[in-house]
Amino acid sequence: MREQLAELLEQGRSALMAADTADALQQARVALLGKKGSMTGIMKGMGRMTAEERPVIGALANKIKVELEALFEERAAIVQQQEMQQRLASERIDVTLPGRTHARGSKHPVTLVTEEICDIFASLGFGVEEGPEVEQDFYNFEALNMPKDHPARDMQDTFYINDDVVLRTHTSPVQIRAMLKHAPPVRVIAPGTVYRRDSDITHTPMFHQIEGFLVDRHITFGDLKGVLTTFITQFFGKNVGVRFRPSFFPFTEPSAEVDIQCVICGGSGCRVCKKSGWLEILGSGMIDPEVFKSVNYDSEKYSGFAFGMGIERIAMLKYGVNDLRLFFENDVRFLQQF
Amino acid sequence: MIVSYNWLKEFVDFDLTAEELSHRLTMAGLEVDALELLGSEMDSVIVGRLDSVKPHPDADRLTVCQVVTGDETVPVVCGATNHKAGDLVALAQVGTRLPGDFKIKKSKIRGQVSMGMLCSKTELGLAEASEGILILPPNSPLGKPVFDVLGLKDARLEIGLTPNRPDCLSLVGVAREVAAMVNRSLALQHRVPEERGEPCSDSVSIAIEDQDLCPRYGARLIRGVTIGPSPEWMVKKLEAIGLRSINNVVDVTNLVLMELGHPLHAFDYDHMRGGRVVIKRAGEGETFTTLDGQVRVLRSEDLVICDGEGPVALAGIMGGENSEVGPGTCQVLLESAYFNPATVRRTSKRLGMHTEASHRFERGADVNMVPIALDRAAALIMEVAGGTVAQGMIDCYPQPLVERRIVLKLSRVNGVLGLNLNANEVRSLLQSIGLGVQQGEQSETVSVLIPTFRPDLEREIDLIEEVARLHGYDKIPVTMPTSQMICHRPEPAQRYARQIRNTMVGGGFSEIVNYSFIASEWDRLLLDADDQRRHTVRILNPLTEEQSVMRSSLVPSMLETVARNRAYRSTDLRLFELRPVFQPQDGELLPHESLRLCAAISGRREPLCWARAEEFVDFYDLKGQLERLFAGLQLTKVSWEARHSDSFYHPGKSCTVGLASGSVGTLGEVHPQVLKNFSIDQPVFIMDLDLSAVFAEAGVGRPFQAISRFPDICRDSALLVDEEVDAGRVFSVIEEVRGATVEDFTLFDLYRGAGIPQGKKSLAIRVRYRSAEKTLTDEEISAAHERIIAALRKRVGAEIR
Repeated sequence: MREQLAELLEQGRSALMAADTADALQQARVALLGKKGSMTGIMKGMGRMTAEERPVIGALANKIKVELEALFEERAAIVQQQEMQQRLASERIDVTLPGRTHARGSKHPVTLVTEEICDIFASLGFGVEEGPEVEQDFYNFEALNMPKDHPARDMQDTFYINDDVVLRTHTSPVQIRAMLKHAPPVRVIAPGTVYRRDSDITHTPMFHQIEGFLVDRHITFGDLKGVLTTFITQFFGKNVGVRFRPSFFPFTEPSAEVDIQCVICGGSGCRVCKKSGWLEILGSGMIDPEVFKSVNYDSEKYSGFAFGMGIERIAMLKYGVNDLRLFFENDVRFLQQF
Repeated sequence: MIVSYNWLKEFVDFDLTAEELSHRLTMAGLEVDALELLGSEMDSVIVGRLDSVKPHPDADRLTVCQVVTGDETVPVVCGATNHKAGDLVALAQVGTRLPGDFKIKKSKIRGQVSMGMLCSKTELGLAEASEGILILPPNSPLGKPVFDVLGLKDARLEIGLTPNRPDCLSLVGVAREVAAMVNRSLALQHRVPEERGEPCSDSVSIAIEDQDLCPRYGARLIRGVTIGPSPEWMVKKLEAIGLRSINNVVDVTNLVLMELGHPLHAFDYDHMRGGRVVIKRAGEGETFTTLDGQVRVLRSEDLVICDGEGPVALAGIMGGENSEVGPGTCQVLLESAYFNPATVRRTSKRLGMHTEASHRFERGADVNMVPIALDRAAALIMEVAGGTVAQGMIDCYPQPLVERRIVLKLSRVNGVLGLNLNANEVRSLLQSIGLGVQQGEQSETVSVLIPTFRPDLEREIDLIEEVARLHGYDKIPVTMPTSQMICHRPEPAQRYARQIRNTMVGGGFSEIVNYSFIASEWDRLLLDADDQRRHTVRILNPLTEEQSVMRSSLVPSMLETVARNRAYRSTDLRLFELRPVFQPQDGELLPHESLRLCAAISGRREPLCWARAEEFVDFYDLKGQLERLFAGLQLTKVSWEARHSDSFYHPGKSCTVGLASGSVGTLGEVHPQVLKNFSIDQPVFIMDLDLSAVFAEAGVGRPFQAISRFPDICRDSALLVDEEVDAGRVFSVIEEVRGATVEDFTLFDLYRGAGIPQGKKSLAIRVRYRSAEKTLTDEEISAAHERIIAALRKRVGAEIR
C-alpha cells in the first residue's frame, strides 16, 4: 500500500500539473480524490491491513490527500489566471466606434453672456433687477433727462405703442424704477431686451443690453473707472487695455465711453476696430443730478455712476461672430456652437 | 462734422500729425470716426530735374528725357513740348496709380525705354484741362512728393459729434478744442467789410414780430454781384470737407457755415417784394414752396421769414423757391440770425426737413456769431462775386442775451471726480476753451462766465464734466468704491428661470431668441375668433407688418423657427424659448408681461447611431422632459388632462398641464393643418407654459423620507383592461388603496396585439413592497397585493392575465 500511495502521489502530481484548463483540472482531481477515484480504490485495501499498520497508512494517505488538495488549489489559481488571460486576449471592442450620445443642448449666446456678466457684478455685490419691455415714455425718456423735443431723442429711434408708451430703447428705465423702489445705497445690474427702429447689417430692431448702477455717499468717477476696469479684466482677461473717453448721454455727466483694446488684432488695427485698435463696448458716466431729482435722491448727499452695454456686441467679440443677424435667425447650426 | 487738417491750421497753430490730432480729439470727446489722408496716394509722384531732353530717334513728336530724382537718373519718353533741360517736373514713378485708375508701368515706346511719366496738371487731377506738363518752381527739392511741395496734402477728419456740442459743428469750434489741447490761442477775428453806396436800411426794413422765436436778426445787402463759378481755392476748400461747389454766393454761405458754424441765407433781393423783411409765425395752413421744389403746408407754430407779401424762407431750415439766388441775381440780401432751437426742431421734424442749418439751430447756435458771420460772408461775396457791400449792417437784437454765470464749488468738482485740483488749476482748464474766468486767489469756489457759443453749459455738473475732460479722463485715478454692504440675492423667479434653462439644455434643447414683435396672423394657428391671444399690443410705427404686434404667444415664432430649420435641412430639433409675452390690460397704461416657456421637438429621438434603432420623438418624449423639469422645481402635484384648450394641437394627442393652482399650460402634437400652414413637413410636438404660475408653486417639495433598512419585494401583475381605461385611472386606484407597505409602483409594459382581445390592452405593473420596521412575510405581501388587484378588478374591470 505504501508503494501504491507513493505512486498515487507521483501520478497525482503529474496529472494535476498536466491539466491546463479548469475542467481538466477538476477531472484530474475527481480521478484522484473523488468517490470513485484512485485514492478511494487504494483505501479499499485498508481492510486487509493489520491494526498496527492501519493508522500509519491512514495518516500517510491523509497527508498525500492534503498535499494533492493543496496542489490542486495552487494549480486552480494558476489555470484560472491563465484562462482569464486567454479570454481577455481574445476579447476586443472597437473603441473608435462612436458612443451612444444624446442631443446636446445649448443656451443662446445672449443668455450665456448675460449670465456671465451678471455673475461678475453679483460677485461685486450688485443685485439683478428687471423691468417691463413695453415702457412708459416717462421712465424711458423723461425721467432720464430726455424731455420731449430734446435732440438726444434722435440718438434712439423709437417704436411707439401710443404717445405715452414705447418699446424701451434701453435698459436705463430700470434704473429709474429701481431707484424709486430702493433708497441708497443701491447696486443694481439690469439685463434686458430693448428695441430700436433700425434694421440693417449692423442693427436689429430688437437687441439686448445690460445696465448697471451704483449710488452711495462719496462715489467718484475714479470708482466708476475702478469697477468697470475690474469687470473688463474679469470678462476679457487681465492683459486687455482699457480707456475711458468723454462722451455724452443725457442721463449721466460726466459721461464716458469705454473702449477696450481690440480683441481681434490686439490693438494694431484691423477691420473690426476700423483700424483704430480700440473697440467701444460700454457707455457710462456719473448719474446726472436731473435723474436724481426725478427719483427724489438728494444729489448733494449722494453720487453714483451708471453704465450700459450691448450684449450682442460683446457676444460677437467673445465668440468671434461676424453677423449680428445670426443671433435672431435661430439656425440650430449656429445655436449648437455655444 | 467733417474738418480739414489744413483748414484747422488757419485758426490754430499746432504741431500734431493728422493721426495724433485724431487720437487727441477722440480722447477729448470729439470722436473721430474716420480719418482720410488726402493726396498721399500720390506720394510716388516726385520732383525730378530734366538732365537732358533729346528728340526720340523714331518718333517726331516724342522726346527722350533723362530725369534726375536725386539718387538716380531714369529715362522717360515724353510727348509734351513745353519742357527743356533743367526744368523741374512731376515724375510719376513706375507703380503710380494716377486719377482715373491709370497705372504707370515700365514700357518701351518705339524702342526707347520709359521708366515713368512726366505729368500734366490734368493727369494729376489738379485741373480740368491744362497745356503741356507741369513745370515746378525752380527751388523744389528733388525726390520729394510733388503734392507735399505744392502743399496739396490734407487730412479729412470725420467727427461723430454728440448732441451736446453744437459749438463744434464748425472749424473754429474744433480749432478751439485743439487750441486748448496744445495750449495755443485761437485766431478768430471780426473784420468789418468795406462798405459803399446807399445804406442798406434805405433798401430794406426789418421787423421781428415774434421775438420769442427770433431774438436776433441781422442782414446786409450786397449790390452788383455776378453769380458764377467759385474760384479754385474755394472749391478745393469745400471739397476737402466733402461739399460740392454750387455757385460763388451759395458757396460763400456754405463756407462760412462750416467755418464759423453759423447758418446764413442769401436771398435774391430783387425778388423780395416791398423791400421788407418780417419774421413772424406762419399762418395756419399757409402753403409755401421751399427751394427744393416741395410745397409745404405750414402751421402757426412755424416761424417764417416774409417779404412784403408772404413767406420767403422757413426760418432756420430752408429758403424759398421765390427768392432763391440764381444765375441772374445781382443784389444779394444776406441773412444772419438766431432762431429758437425748439421751434426749428419742431418744424424740421414735422416736415421731415433735416438741413445743415436746422441741425445747428435746433442744437443751439451762437447768438453773438450773428454779426461776425454776416461780415465774414459779405466780405467773401465781394471777393469772389464782385459788387459792393451797402453801408451799415441791419442788426435787430431788441433784448441782448445776458451771459450766464455759474459758480463752481471745488469740493464738488473733486468729490465727483476723485481728484484734488485747486482753484487755479480749475480756472486754467476752463479758460483754455474760452470760458470766462479770472485767475486769482486760491478759493473754495470758481466763478465762470459762460460764453454764448456753449449753450450746453447750464449747470455746475456741466462744468465739472469740462474740468474732467480737459484734465483728461486717463489722469483720473482708478479706485474701488467704499460702499455699505447690502444683500442682493436674485429673486426666486430669476433663479428658477436659470434653473429651467439649465434643465432644458441638459435635456438636449437649444435656446432660441425670436423678435418680440410678430405678424398679427392668428388664423394659421386655427385660434378661435374670441381667443384672447388675438387681442394684442400693436406698434404704431412698425418696420413691417410682419413685426407689427407684440407677441401674445411664443408658439407662432417657435413654429416659424422649426420651419426655417427644416428649410435648412436640419431634421432633429429640440428647441426652447423662455421670454415674456404681452397682452393689453384694461385700465392699465402698460400691457401685462408674463414669462412663458415654449419648447418643441421634432425628428429623431436620439442622434442617429449605429448602436440603436432609429426612433422618432412622440408626445411622451416632451412629457418626460416636462416631468423632469417639474421634478427639479420640486413640483409634485402635476395633472395631465386630455381636455385641450388650444386649437393648434391634434385633438387626441394633447393635454392641459395642471398644478395645484390649476392649468399652467398645454402640451401636445401640433395639428396637421397648422403644420401645413407653417410649411412644416414632419410631426412637431410643443409645450407652452405660463412660468409665473409655475414659479408660484415651485420649491416647496415633500419633506425628507427616512430610508428603510429592510429588503424590498416586488410583485408584477399584467392587467387586462378596456382600451378606454386611461393609465391614470389605474394609477389613482392603486394610489387610493396602496397602504403603508407599498413603496412605489411602476407601469413597465403596455401591450396590445397577439393574445390580447380586440378593444383591450395589457398594462404590466410592478409594485414594490417594503416596510420601515421589519422584513415583510410572503403572506403579508400577498394580502396587500391582492387588495390592490381586487380594487382594480372592481373599479376598472381589470382582469389578471
